[in-house]
Amino acid sequence: MAATQQEARSCVRTPERTNMASVNSSEWRAICDKFTNAQNLTEIESRNDKENDPFRSKYKAKELLREIYCSLKNFEAGEGEEEGGGESGDQRPTEQPVDGQREDLFGQGFSGDSPAGLRAARLGAVEYYLGVNHVDTEELSAGQEHLMNCMKLLERCRVSSPNVSLFIQVRNQLGILWAGRDETETAQGFLETAESIYQRYMKEDGSPPTDMTEYFAAEENLLTHQERIKRFELAYTHTMYYLAQVYKNLGQTERAATYCHTTLQRQLQLNQFTPMEWALNAATLSQYYITKGRYMEGRHCLSAATVISDLAGEVPSEAAAQENETESERREHLRQKRAEIARCWIKYCLNLLQDAKKQLEDNIGELDTDRQEELKRARRREEEEEEKGRKSALLFGSEDTFDSIASIEEKVMCLFPLDFTEARSVFLVGQNHVTQAKDYFQMDGYVTDHIEILQDHSALFRSLAFFEEDLERRCKMHKRRVDMLEPICNDLNAQYYLMIRRQLMFELAETYNEMMDLKLALANRQADTQSLDNHTIKKFNHLCSASAKYFQMFLDSLCSPEGKFPERLEEEVLRPALVARFRVARLHSRLISTSPTVQLDNLNKSLENYKYVVQYCEANPEAGAAVETELELSKEMVGLLPLKINRLNARMDSNN
Amino acid sequence: RAEAAQGGAIVVEKIDEYSVTVETPRGPREFQFDKVFSAEASQEDLFHDTSRLIQLAIDGYNVCVFAYGQTGSGKTFTMVGDKEQKNPGIIPRAFNAMFDIMRKNNSKFSFKVSAYMLELYNDRLQDLFASQAGEAHGHTQSHGQARRVEIKRNRKGVVFAQGAETKEASSAQELYALFQQACANRHISATKMNMESSRSHLIVGIMVESRNLTNGSVSSGKLSLVDLAGSERAAKTGAKDHQLKEANSINKSLSALGDVISALSAELPHVPYRNSKLTQVMQDSLGGNAKTLMIVNISPTEYNLDETLTSLM
Repeated sequence: MAATQQEARSCVRTPERTNMASVNSSEWRAICDKFTNAQNLTEIESRNDKENDPFRSKYKAKELLREIYCSLKNFEAGEGEEEGGGESGDQRPTEQPVDGQREDLFGQGFSGDSPAGLRAARLGAVEYYLGVNHVDTEELSAGQEHLMNCMKLLERCRVSSPNVSLFIQVRNQLGILWAGRDETETAQGFLETAESIYQRYMKEDGSPPTDMTEYFAAEENLLTHQERIKRFELAYTHTMYYLAQVYKNLGQTERAATYCHTTLQRQLQLNQFTPMEWALNAATLSQYYITKGRYMEGRHCLSAATVISDLAGEVPSEAAAQENETESERREHLRQKRAEIARCWIKYCLNLLQDAKKQLEDNIGELDTDRQEELKRARRREEEEEEKGRKSALLFGSEDTFDSIASIEEKVMCLFPLDFTEARSVFLVGQNHVTQAKDYFQMDGYVTDHIEILQDHSALFRSLAFFEEDLERRCKMHKRRVDMLEPICNDLNAQYYLMIRRQLMFELAETYNEMMDLKLALANRQADTQSLDNHTIKKFNHLCSASAKYFQMFLDSLCSPEGKFPERLEEEVLRPALVARFRVARLHSRLISTSPTVQLDNLNKSLENYKYVVQYCEANPEAGAAVETELELSKEMVGLLPLKINRLNARMDSNN
Repeated sequence: RAEAAQGGAIVVEKIDEYSVTVETPRGPREFQFDKVFSAEASQEDLFHDTSRLIQLAIDGYNVCVFAYGQTGSGKTFTMVGDKEQKNPGIIPRAFNAMFDIMRKNNSKFSFKVSAYMLELYNDRLQDLFASQAGEAHGHTQSHGQARRVEIKRNRKGVVFAQGAETKEASSAQELYALFQQACANRHISATKMNMESSRSHLIVGIMVESRNLTNGSVSSGKLSLVDLAGSERAAKTGAKDHQLKEANSINKSLSALGDVISALSAELPHVPYRNSKLTQVMQDSLGGNAKTLMIVNISPTEYNLDETLTSLM
């Protein structure tokens, strides 16, 4: 028998024969009591152990387990090896940490409920608990030895209901152990075997398996079928959970995601979860799916997250929170987590709209109606696929929740919106969640979060504008963005919120630019060949200057405290800075004025900025790669503008 | 962001001003820093490098000094100094330097100095100025009944510890006395809760508001001093990347599932896990304009090798 040296020495071999069947029931009782004690020490008492003696209870438990082991060995010694024949698989394999030593765990070996099988399982269980005990008390090698002993004992048995739980759990533990030693592939081996054992067992048998604690339980304390199944399934959930971690460590993120999904699914089905924690995990998983463009799965995760987060209960009222510390914390916790889930939804809607836009846009960023038609046709095919997809995908929920989850899913699409109506419906869902999220993440207290939510809201409008055909309405959407972001930008402390302000400035500049182009397009449509009226010109100029102003503000924010623009642009700001210069140049050249002096001034400013771009890229060749189009245009303008300026000068002179 | 490490001679060797080498079972490993101080370096040497940060705080920036390392590696000595203050650490020196600078400039500016002192334990902030007297007298109320402190920041960039008392100080001595009071309170609460103080983080925020006497403009800067809990705790729970997070045996919670999911992609659109309170507190100091100094204390001996490596990584 492969027992550790210490135990062999401390075991006392009794001279008389003792047969398991005739084991004194009081002796058996004693063993069962010891076992219960050991469990109690390990799981309950140990929590009270002091910091400077943290393993006190576990050491005691270990002693008890050793005693049990010895007693069992004594019984066995008395019996002798009666079950010598048959499929005993006597080959003692050499110490190898890998699994799969036997080809067919299900076909060969002692039956689980034969006396030999039971003996092996009992002893194996003690080895298991000793193994876990050693691992808990940081004695990994000893732990490994015991766990491997357990494996060897089971070697001789067939997988069946009395031992399948042990088959799986010992492999779970070995998985943890080897992963802790950085031997991830070895861990993977054990865990994958555990996985296949479970799957085959459920396929071929499926009856409620004995739980390991039952090996040393009195008749009256045996578990119900229900409880057995519950514990067995929990063990397998752990296998899934550990495999998720292993695959992540191996860099197999797709697989890891699938196993995370399965773990979450099982938690719900088996009702082994904490609502808010589960909801957050599901919401996070949805974000992963979004990065992969898998919106159906993402939507499912989010819908489940919403439903399950509700299970966490009612938010305590403000009044209740004032009176009581615990209620206050609970209120805070629930409100915050739900707001976080809302933010995940916002990202879902936003990404869906943005990805749809990418599919639909032509090379100048406008909606391509041909593409739209094509995708609409393809959609009809996709809808059939979607139905099939739903059946094969891993659905979350239990009987109570399947319906509620589905009803939330129905409120938002998971296929790309292809026209304004569809885009609007997605937009509105996103907007709802913006309101929800802002309610918790208020400005004073959560500045960065609040602003990020506003930025998302602005981006939602931007994406929706893409689908809007009416230019006037489009312009209004951009105006909403400006109204939302402008006050914030000006209100924030410039010193502390540098990064955010820069983002906002740039966005405002681009938005104003967008509005300016739209105003012009609208005016041109109406006016035909007539020149623009004064009102339009004024409006146009206002938008043009506003855009230039914000681009300039952005550029100014790059200056040193003394006001000097950097000689060399840092990588993160290189492209935006050059683009900003380019835009300022362009905007200045477009300002409309009747006064030649003003025109001249604008053209000069324009030239100055185009020149900067060209010169910077000459001095820093790598920069050119970041702004190819802008550089090309800048070079052209640097060539053309001086001519225009000269002509203007000449006209001014001749007029004087 | 500047980092300084104070190391010793046995398995840790200072190669030059910027690097440290550690002998591990797998061979020597080298770490780069902005500055390395060996065991021979004095408190003065160390402070000299950090003194310019004090000026910055008065100028209106946010400055943060972290001390990180295993218990017993000398963090407290570095930060506070010895009991008799024969070798004062960074904190008392900083206070003195701060008031020195203010004194030199008191013709041009008027200053107001206030402080809050907090303890962070188990993701809970505790006001160390709060009167512990009442609770010490056999109150059976749990620790948690003390008023909650939340760190909030408004659009002006001002970080305020909502629910915590802020006390003013008009001299370095006064400020240091407040600091001692806070440390004493930390000890009391530690005993009450049966917790080791090595598990809690100490966070001291000194706000300096300067008013330009000529033009009336006001600027505010903050010096944050953080003494991070003994890092050996962190090592046990999270350092080994490949270690599987087990299902907690008590209630079998799969608490690490969230970590696995968040790590599936570096580009998750939104990660809905609240940052720990510590990063929240330090948010304004870790952002764009702030200057942060991280002091990593490592122990030179082989026994502490694991912890040393963790601290340095």
